[in-house]
Amino acid sequence: MLDQFALSQAFGLLFSSFDPWIWVIPGLLIGLVFGSIPGLQISMAMAVFLPVTFGMDFLQAMLFLTAIFTGGAYGGGVTAILMNIPGSSSSIATAFDGYPMARQGKHNEALGLGLAASVVGSFIGYILLLLLIGPMAALVLKIGPMEMVVVVLWGLTLIATLNDSSLAKGLFAGFLGLVLSQIGMSTTGIMRTTVGNPHLLDGIPVVPAMIGIFAASELLRLRGSSYLVTDEAQRDISLRRILAGVAETFRHPVVLLRGSLIGAGIGAIPGVGSSVANLVSYGEARRTSATPEAFGKGAPEGVIAAESANSSSEGGSMTALLALGIPGGAATAVLLAAFSFHNIIGGPSFIRNQTDVVYSIILGNLGQVLLLAVVGLLMLRVLGMVVRVPLAYLVPSVLAMCAWGGYGITGTVAGPLTVAAFALLGWLMRRNAYPVAATVIGLLLGRMMEGELVRTLQISNNQPMTYLLERPIALVLAIAMLAVLVGAPSLKALRARKARRAGH
Amino acid sequence: MSGRFPASHAAFLGIALAITGFILWSALSASTSLNNLIVVAPAALLLGILALCIVVAALRKQDAEPAPAGALGDLVLLAGFGIFCYALTHVGFDVATFVFVWAGIVVSGGRSLWVPPLYAAVFSLALVKGFGSLFPYPMLTLVL
Repeated sequence: MLDQFALSQAFGLLFSSFDPWIWVIPGLLIGLVFGSIPGLQISMAMAVFLPVTFGMDFLQAMLFLTAIFTGGAYGGGVTAILMNIPGSSSSIATAFDGYPMARQGKHNEALGLGLAASVVGSFIGYILLLLLIGPMAALVLKIGPMEMVVVVLWGLTLIATLNDSSLAKGLFAGFLGLVLSQIGMSTTGIMRTTVGNPHLLDGIPVVPAMIGIFAASELLRLRGSSYLVTDEAQRDISLRRILAGVAETFRHPVVLLRGSLIGAGIGAIPGVGSSVANLVSYGEARRTSATPEAFGKGAPEGVIAAESANSSSEGGSMTALLALGIPGGAATAVLLAAFSFHNIIGGPSFIRNQTDVVYSIILGNLGQVLLLAVVGLLMLRVLGMVVRVPLAYLVPSVLAMCAWGGYGITGTVAGPLTVAAFALLGWLMRRNAYPVAATVIGLLLGRMMEGELVRTLQISNNQPMTYLLERPIALVLAIAMLAVLVGAPSLKALRARKARRAGH
Repeated sequence: MSGRFPASHAAFLGIALAITGFILWSALSASTSLNNLIVVAPAALLLGILALCIVVAALRKQDAEPAPAGALGDLVLLAGFGIFCYALTHVGFDVATFVFVWAGIVVSGGRSLWVPPLYAAVFSLALVKGFGSLFPYPMLTLVL
């Protein structure tokens, strides 16, 4: 599995001088800052700092850019926990339980949980990448639209479990998101409505919509309070309590490991990645938990499941980039640009001829993950200060940043106006106990679902079920999904009925 | 059927169904092919059924849930936020942000006379020079 000689050369490349590591800590800090400001994307940070890497050697450039990637993935989780603003779509599920924990005064513990789960998740993701890059690359090549349909469907099933008051309201919110995702040109080029706005040709921009529906509507709800954490005694930033959160993470090893494996697996699928991974992982943690009713109200397992999955998906997303030269998302596309600047082409020949460089990138990332633990702990003390800011100042400031973030994504007035429109929608939904997260999931996955379904129909000549039988990976995924979603609950209900009968 | 149906709930369902109807109509007018309707048609149908279930369930409920207070204040801030979002690219990011943050602090309970405008000015300056410099797009400003 591992080329021992290349591995020893990789260690030599990384540790013979300090040069490759010089830019890692600045990269992590840049990522943390960009990730924790709504509207500033990780890919944007990587693109902004890409020209800086032109003067670096290849390994140094890779470690700098991937450090931004690693720091940004965690930074998005910090604002999801503290302010219910997921920095990116990969942190949506982190907000479900992280924010309720913060409101209960457990922000230190939640940040500790998030940091530890991120570090462990990333570590597992990169270890898997190191060991399995060859076989995983072969597997990624076998993934087609049918497999993507099954994975996206799995992500969508989370909608049914998100309900603040009734299942019908949860489903209504989710289907509303699906319908909203259908604005603009279809994946086959058919022009549907743009509501008279040419900026909506590619559909509703998801990140501004997410900022509006999550953040702006929540900030309006906070308006009447004085601080994010009402109890003054709970408002401190305590390293001891953050470390207690770190320790708590390891009390849920199954959730942590399952989240990391789900993240690495789904992250490897180009185009799906961490956005779906954190949702599937959260859904599975909730489904298999002994106390599913605690989820959404501040369950530590929810934070662990989401953060471990979105972090380990980073390793997964590097599979397609390193082994096939295919960027799975915007961030890996910037890495690919750095590849080409240094005259390197990702793909099988890169792995075959420059195995030592591939290994040194992966090992360098493992080192970065450990540094993230230290940098993260130090930065959390600063980022956590937000709970001490009076809400009279925090609410308008963050609202203004939300609108700015909307502009930062689209570059037109459509961004801020999308934030405002979704703030109104989110406000109406929250007032009437509809889960806003379900709408975001529908909006995020709707277009993906449509594209993959259409491609599946075209490839299968409108015979998707027959085609499914010819696709072993899709079939295994579909059976696993049905077993988890239908089989396990049915078995549980059967056992409960038997136990009741035995009791009578 | 003895329950009451809150106005904000009716407004939300009305808006959601109107948007759904409009998107479905536009999709049907564009093309009735399966590829075009594969997500929108079933989702719209299910939305209609779910809306009916929600309305019936709410009307059957004996005790109507009390509507949360503070709707007017929220709507004022929402309207202000909408105007601010529009003003960013029409008035200027600097002035729009300064005015919105100042007014927002006052509406949210900031009592001091000079701290809110001072804070709003420093915050706007930091956003324009910090956040704004990272934008890959041109940004309209009136003063800065």
